[in-house]
Amino acid sequence: MNANESLPRVGPVLRTSGLEKEYGHGEGLVRAVDAVELEVASGETLAVMGPSGCGKSTLLHLLGGLERPTAGEVWLAGRRIDELSEKALARLRRHAIGFVFQAFHLMDELTAAENVELPALLAGRSPRAARRRAAELLEEVGLTDRKEHLPSALSGGQRQRVAIARALSNDPLVVLADEPTGNLDSAATLDVLRLLESLRSTGQTLLIVTHDARIAATADRLISMRDGTFVEETRLTHGPTGRLAELAGLER
Amino acid sequence: MQEAVRLSMEEPAQGYQLRVVREVLLALLAKEASHGYQLRARLQLALGPLAEALNAGHVYVTLTRLEKAGLVTSERVGQADRPDRKVYELTAAGRARVTDWLEDTSWPKPAPAEFHLKLVAAAAAGLADPVRLVDAQRHALLAGLAVAQRAALAEPDGSIAGLLLEGVVLRLQADLRWLEACARYWNATKGRS
Amino acid sequence: MSRALLVFRLASRDLRRRPVEAVLLLLAITGATTVLTLGLVLHGVTKGPYESTREATAGPDVVANVISEPTERERAERRPPATPVDSAGLEALTDAPGVVNHSGPYPLVLASVGANGHTAEAQVQGRDATPALVDQPKLTEGRWVRDGGAVFEAAFATAIGVGAGDSITLNGRSFQVVGVAVSAALAPYPVVSCLSFCSQSGVVWLTRGDALSLTPRRRAAGLILNLKLANPAAAPAFAAARNPKGPGQGAPPGSTQPTLLAWQDVREESADLVRNQAEVLRTGGWLLVLLALASVAVLVGGRMADQTRRVGLLKAVGGTPSVVAAVLLAEYVVVALIAAAVGLAAGWLAAPLLIDPSAGLVGRAGAPALTISTVGLVTAVTFGVAVAATVVPAVRAARTSTVLALADSARAPRRTPWLIALSARLPVPLLLGLRVAARRPRRIVLATASIAITVSGIVAALAAHLDLAADVVDPSSPLDITKADRFNEVLPVITITLAALAAVNAIFITWATALDARHSSALARALGATPQQVSAGLSAAQVLPALVGAILGIPGGIALFAAVGDSMTVPPLWQLLAVVAGTVLVAAALTAIPARIGGRRSVAEILQSELA
Repeated sequence: MNANESLPRVGPVLRTSGLEKEYGHGEGLVRAVDAVELEVASGETLAVMGPSGCGKSTLLHLLGGLERPTAGEVWLAGRRIDELSEKALARLRRHAIGFVFQAFHLMDELTAAENVELPALLAGRSPRAARRRAAELLEEVGLTDRKEHLPSALSGGQRQRVAIARALSNDPLVVLADEPTGNLDSAATLDVLRLLESLRSTGQTLLIVTHDARIAATADRLISMRDGTFVEETRLTHGPTGRLAELAGLER
Repeated sequence: MQEAVRLSMEEPAQGYQLRVVREVLLALLAKEASHGYQLRARLQLALGPLAEALNAGHVYVTLTRLEKAGLVTSERVGQADRPDRKVYELTAAGRARVTDWLEDTSWPKPAPAEFHLKLVAAAAAGLADPVRLVDAQRHALLAGLAVAQRAALAEPDGSIAGLLLEGVVLRLQADLRWLEACARYWNATKGRS
Repeated sequence: MSRALLVFRLASRDLRRRPVEAVLLLLAITGATTVLTLGLVLHGVTKGPYESTREATAGPDVVANVISEPTERERAERRPPATPVDSAGLEALTDAPGVVNHSGPYPLVLASVGANGHTAEAQVQGRDATPALVDQPKLTEGRWVRDGGAVFEAAFATAIGVGAGDSITLNGRSFQVVGVAVSAALAPYPVVSCLSFCSQSGVVWLTRGDALSLTPRRRAAGLILNLKLANPAAAPAFAAARNPKGPGQGAPPGSTQPTLLAWQDVREESADLVRNQAEVLRTGGWLLVLLALASVAVLVGGRMADQTRRVGLLKAVGGTPSVVAAVLLAEYVVVALIAAAVGLAAGWLAAPLLIDPSAGLVGRAGAPALTISTVGLVTAVTFGVAVAATVVPAVRAARTSTVLALADSARAPRRTPWLIALSARLPVPLLLGLRVAARRPRRIVLATASIAITVSGIVAALAAHLDLAADVVDPSSPLDITKADRFNEVLPVITITLAALAAVNAIFITWATALDARHSSALARALGATPQQVSAGLSAAQVLPALVGAILGIPGGIALFAAVGDSMTVPPLWQLLAVVAGTVLVAAALTAIPARIGGRRSVAEILQSELA
């Protein structure tokens, strides 16, 4: 049974309420995420920016069920997930959440295709269906000719594109990307940038944590984070072209 | 007396102008009334080596203009062994002008000096948290970047207009990097105070 | 010199950094060396004591006897033979060429002993009060025979529980036990002494008159003669030349031709009891050595990943490949040598516990000799184990390019395409488990091998048990019972040691595998595998090799027993199935623990830490 079908598509895909995460205790207490209220609508691309140590990666892990919050709630498609068991969270990640990491985290001994099909296999799909889906996705990200290559034979940008394809494997509700271009040079960043743009246009809900301005600029909405809280929020779409003239140096 | 001599000897034949010098001076006056020379000293401190490129009499001329425009008032203060000095004070109109300027996120081409001074003035006068100003400006630039980037990506490969747009994007990126540095500096300063 | 010092310092510091592993290594090898030492020591344990007994008692080179065989009717009626025994053949031997001295012939009478409410069979020799020139038994208690006084052979005395001063009956007549002695002429009780007849009776010495008085007509059932040869080494030839068909085959009834037994054969018989034990221990010892080899290889393999970067650093600061290899080897060799010393000491100290106190020989208990050859062999074996397990990884590490070593990419996991494709068709836990196993094939092979070795040992032990049970014809026979007892003492020791070592191995392999697979396990969980699936997979990665190893161990054990015990005995099917099932269950249980513990840390934590 596809868990996606049982989850409603109206309303925000992700929602948090009073989300908090603390580490350490006493003198060494660190509040990585401090009373965060967040809503991500379906099909929206949200970018979260901030200096290192501001808690944005922790926020992402909390949203994906990789960490448990100290306080507060996390709702995914109307279902509360912060109190689920590890087993239920795993099932959730199988069907509803896709991850993209800064360090790619591909399996070194598997080819690109084998890496991409892994979530589908974990979800119990037949090997043939999983392989077919992997081929489709690799074509979408433009790496069909590198299907049978090992990660060691791929450039950084190519590896991250494989990771993005893997995140899409089970048609997730939301893709969570943690500094997707953190380990990439500018050319590779451009490749990933284009890919994220095209993902946006398919209506995929994306939450990207980044310190790269160009990646953040692909979002519909941008939130700046500092010391665990949100400090500024802007809508980035629908900019007037007059703006462009001004930016390019034309004077009125 | 010496002041007047200095003024006449250093007639501005060359020297750079500061477009927002009016707004900066107004902001500096927001905290308390000051003498002209005090304002000039603060400006020189904030600009460092760049201050030398500025026209020497620029400040005084601007102050006169501001008074004429009704944004500041001046008062002569008598001194025992020196010629009288003017003390300038902000009016209500002047204060309104400062507030508008702080909230304005338009971004002129060579950016650093003006925005830099905005932050300095805001911090000195306690008018606004410089970090929040930086955040607001960053977001404004990112919105611009988003527009420019989308336009750039929409251009076919090898398009000449694409080159221009890429230039816009890259400059904005550079500005944004500086803004992050500003945020780090002012955040640290806040922590220290 | 300074280089050797550097090597030593680096090696010792590294050992101190990882004390648990060093201790495990030590335990693994020590277990093997202890058992090996026991086996080697016990093998020689009776040689010495027999010879000192021979010296102390002026033991004979050849023992000859002749008996008058009872007729069927006499045997049925349990009456001694009517015809007197003819001593002509024996007398002739005293003048045979090569004989320099003799004692006897002494009369032999079969009697039943009553003592402490038990009865036992005894063969009574009638002796003179004066010491004989050949075979004068050495007293360990009391005094020599006198009228009305009996002297018991030491092992027999212990077996039936009598000592000097006790009262006993012989054929109903009461005697007093005046002494307990040892002799080299016949093997100690309860070994079968085969001359003209094989008897499992203990030896008792009486005066001639008392001995003859035990029979109704004062007629001995047989005569026994002790001979001393000019050349003791020629005793077997001497005996073989004159025996009708060899000792124990029995001369025809009433014949005058005596049956001869050489002292070397007696010595062999004396060792009989302990020989089986020694055999078992030696075989078990070699099995443990193999297992220890597997353990060391696993430990070394697990450390090599850690070592690779050190190797890179060593090389980057100018260490030559030989220095690098030397440092790596030095650690293991040091531990191995310590293990050898500990094992030798432990084996030497434990040996007396396994030697029966009533061996009936002089100077047997308490100090079996630790010969130079034993020490040398054990040390060489331990050294060999350490070197064999470390040489391949050490050489490989030494030859790796420095850059690769520093980047730590020299230990990239292996890729096996067909296994990956196969695992895709399996349910999720097996998918994960198979892929985890395929990353480190060498470790899986070692795991399988160690289980196979252990199961071989257990199956061989079962076969030996079955063989022994079949051998024990007479459940009331004291010899068979003692043999069985000795065996039963030793088999469990071996089996338990094997099983314990294999368990330690299994835990260690699982731990290493879980650590190694930490990143891919965390990633699998991030991608949607439940913690239960992941730990089931890790378990499967160990249980499957255990199953294969157990199945391989069955023919292995049967072959092992056939090689050592000269007979092909197959334990019953249910026992074999029980062993396989037990191995699999234990493997599953052992591997479940570390696999479970690995699931506690949050996924995010592990993924972050794997970046560092």
